[in-house]
Amino acid sequence: MRQQYARRTQALTSVLGFIALAIIVQMTRIQNSAEAVIFSQQAQNYAYELKTFYPDRGEIYDRNGRLLAGNKTVYEIGVDLNTVRDPHAVAFAVSAELNMDYNQILDGINNPPQGLSYIVIADFIEAQQAFNLQELKRALQEQAAEGTLGGLTGLQFKAHPQRSYPEDALASNVIGFVTREGRGYFGIEGKYDTLLSGNAVQVLVPTDPNKAFEIPRVQNGTTLILTINRDLQSAAEEILDSALLTYGAQGGAIAVMDPRNGEMLAMAASRRMDLNQFWNYNVIFDKSSEFDTAISKPYEPGSVMKILTMAAALDSGTVTPDTSYLDTGSILIGGVTIQNWDQQPWGVQNMVGCLQHSLNVCMVTITSQMGAGIFYDYMNAFGFGHLTGVDMEGEVSGRLKVPGDADWYPVDLGTNSFGQGVTATPMQMMMAVSSIANNGRMVMPHTLYAMVRDGRQYNVPAQFAGSPVSEATADTLSEMLAVSLESEASLALVPGYRIAGKTGTAQIPVNGFYDSAQTNTSFVGWGPVDDPQFMIYVWLERPSESIWGSETAAPVFAEMAEKTVILLDIPPDYIRQQLVAK
Amino acid sequence: MNIPNVTHYIHAYKVAPWRIQRQWIGSALLAVVTLAMVAALYLIVTSHAAIAGREIQDLTYSITLSQQVSGDLQTQLASLTSASAMESRALELGFRPMESDEVEYLVVPGYSEPDPFILSASQGLQLSALTIAPQYNQSLLDWMDEKISSSQGMQ
Repeated sequence: MRQQYARRTQALTSVLGFIALAIIVQMTRIQNSAEAVIFSQQAQNYAYELKTFYPDRGEIYDRNGRLLAGNKTVYEIGVDLNTVRDPHAVAFAVSAELNMDYNQILDGINNPPQGLSYIVIADFIEAQQAFNLQELKRALQEQAAEGTLGGLTGLQFKAHPQRSYPEDALASNVIGFVTREGRGYFGIEGKYDTLLSGNAVQVLVPTDPNKAFEIPRVQNGTTLILTINRDLQSAAEEILDSALLTYGAQGGAIAVMDPRNGEMLAMAASRRMDLNQFWNYNVIFDKSSEFDTAISKPYEPGSVMKILTMAAALDSGTVTPDTSYLDTGSILIGGVTIQNWDQQPWGVQNMVGCLQHSLNVCMVTITSQMGAGIFYDYMNAFGFGHLTGVDMEGEVSGRLKVPGDADWYPVDLGTNSFGQGVTATPMQMMMAVSSIANNGRMVMPHTLYAMVRDGRQYNVPAQFAGSPVSEATADTLSEMLAVSLESEASLALVPGYRIAGKTGTAQIPVNGFYDSAQTNTSFVGWGPVDDPQFMIYVWLERPSESIWGSETAAPVFAEMAEKTVILLDIPPDYIRQQLVAK
Repeated sequence: MNIPNVTHYIHAYKVAPWRIQRQWIGSALLAVVTLAMVAALYLIVTSHAAIAGREIQDLTYSITLSQQVSGDLQTQLASLTSASAMESRALELGFRPMESDEVEYLVVPGYSEPDPFILSASQGLQLSALTIAPQYNQSLLDWMDEKISSSQGMQ
C-alpha cells in the first residue's frame, strides 16, 4: 500500500513536472520566436502615445494691469466612429445647437475618409454651446434603458485655448491678432510671437499609469505688460474718431509718448478692427500699411519738420533765436521759387517769428546758410530714413533723399527744410522731436514695459538713440516754440499748462504735382515745457473742413492734451511749481 | 535501554525517508511562500504606484482644467470691466467725463504716483516630475533592469 502510494505520487509529480517543464519550454519558445518580435512591436505601439503639449499663449496687459489679450476655452467637437450608436441623433443635435447643415454632418459620420476612427465636426465652439451639447448627451444617457447607450454616444468634446481680446477693437493696431493656427500678426502679437507662444513639447506619453511621472512640464508663453495706458488709449481713439467727423478727414493717427523714456502711452489709428473677429482683416484694410498708420504709413509731414531744421540751425551755430532776416515772400533755390504758405512777404523776422508764422522762406534761407552737408547730417542723426526700432511688427521707414542719390536735386534741400519731399511716419517724427523735449537726448519709442516668465518680471529699460543736439539747443528751441504758440494764441494751447509744439500742413502730391486742396495736417507738441511728461502727435489725412494744421490738428492736440493731463494726474503748472518749491 | 540502542533509533529517525521528504517539501514550501511574499509585495508596491500615477494624471488634468477655468474667468472679468463697458455703466449711473477745469488738485502728504503694474511672483515654480529621484518612482523590476543594464554596460 505504501509503495503503491509512493508510485502514484511519483507519477503525479512527473506529470506535473512535465507539464510545468512544457509550459516553461513553450514560454521560452514563444518569447524567442519570430512572432514574439512582432507582438512586442505591437505592444510597444500601444505602450506609448505621442502627445503634443501646447503652452498657453502669454497674456498681454496694459501698464495698469488691464487685460488686453487673454485666453479662453473653446471646444473641438468630433465623433468617435467606433463608439457612435445613432448618427442621426448626433447630426440632429449638433446641427440644431451649432446651426450647421444636418445632411453634411450625417454624411461625414456615415462616409468618413478611409482609415479614420475619429472625425471633427466643428472646432472653436464657444464653451456655452459645448456645454449645452454635453448636457444633452448626459440627459440622453440617463434616459436610456439600463445596459444601453445614449443617443449621443460617440460625440466627443476636446477643450483647447483660443486667443481672446476683452477690449474688442481697443488698441487693435497696437496689439495685432492671432489666427486660429496660433500665429501672431501685426503689433505686439506679431513682434513677440515667439515669446508669447512659448514652445510646444512633443513627448511619448506612456499608457502605463506607473510611468505617469514622465509627463513633461510645459512652460507657458511669456506674459507681456505694455506701456500703453488703456484709458488714455480709449480717449485717444474717441478723440480721433470725433476729429475725423468734425474735420472730414479720411484718416489719421494720434500717438502719446512719454518723451523722457520713449514709453508709448497711447496710439490711436483711424481704422480699427475687432480682434476677436480677425477674419474681417481683408474687409477693413486694403493694405497692410493701414493697420497701424503711426508706424507703417510714411507721409510728407510738412511744417512740423521745421522744428528739426531750426534745431539743426541753432545747434550748428548758423542762427540764434535773435537772428533776423528780411522775408520777401519767396526765395529761389535750385532753380525753383519757394513761397510762404500765404505767398506773402513777412518783412523783418527773427527766428521765433519764423517758427510762429511757419515761414517756408525763412527755413530755406537758414538751410542754405547751413549747407546741405550739415543739414543732412543732422537729419540723419534725427533718424530720418531709418526705422525707429519700435517693438511692433510692420514698421516702415520713410525716405530722406540725400545729395548723391540719383533723384536728389538742389531744390530738395529747400523743400526738405519745411517737410516736403521727405517722408516719415508719425513714430519717426516723435522720436526725432523727443530730442528737443528731452534735453537733447533722443529716446527710442517702445511699447513693452515688462515681461513675466517663471514668476519673475523683467522690466524693459529705456533706450536712447543718441543726442543729435545739445541740451542748450533743445531748451532754447522748446522755449522758442512755446513762445511762438503763445504769441499766435494757437488753438493747441491748454489752459494751465505751458506747451511747446508746432503745426504742420503738407500738400499731397497727386499725379506728380502738389495739390493745394489736399493736405496732411499735423501737430506735434509736448508739455509741461519745464518738465515734459507727455508728447502728442496728431495727424489728419486730407481734412475737408480746413486744409490747415493750425485749424484742424492743433485743436485736436489741445483736446488730447487736456485728457492726458487728467488721466495721467499731471497738475497745472502753478500747482506743480508750488509742489517743487516745497 | 542501553545507549547504543538509543543512538541507533536516533540515526534511524534522522534517515527515515518520510522525514527527508518532509524536509524537501518544507524547503519547497518555504521557497514558494517566499516567492509569494515577494510577489505580493511587488503587487502591492506596483498597485500603489499605479494608483499614485493615476492620481497624478487626474491632478494634472485638474490643474489644466483649473487653469482653463481661471483663464476663462479672467477674460470674462476683463470683458465686463472693459473701457467701453465701464464707460457705458458710468453713463447709465449718471456720471459724465470730467473737464479739465473741474479738476482740483490736492497735496496729499506721503502720496506717490503708483508704479506700473507688477505681475511678478504670480506663479510659483512648478515641481517637475522629471526631477524626482528614481528611488521614489522606480519599481523593483525597473531597479533590477537598471542594475543588470548597468552591470552589462560596465563589462
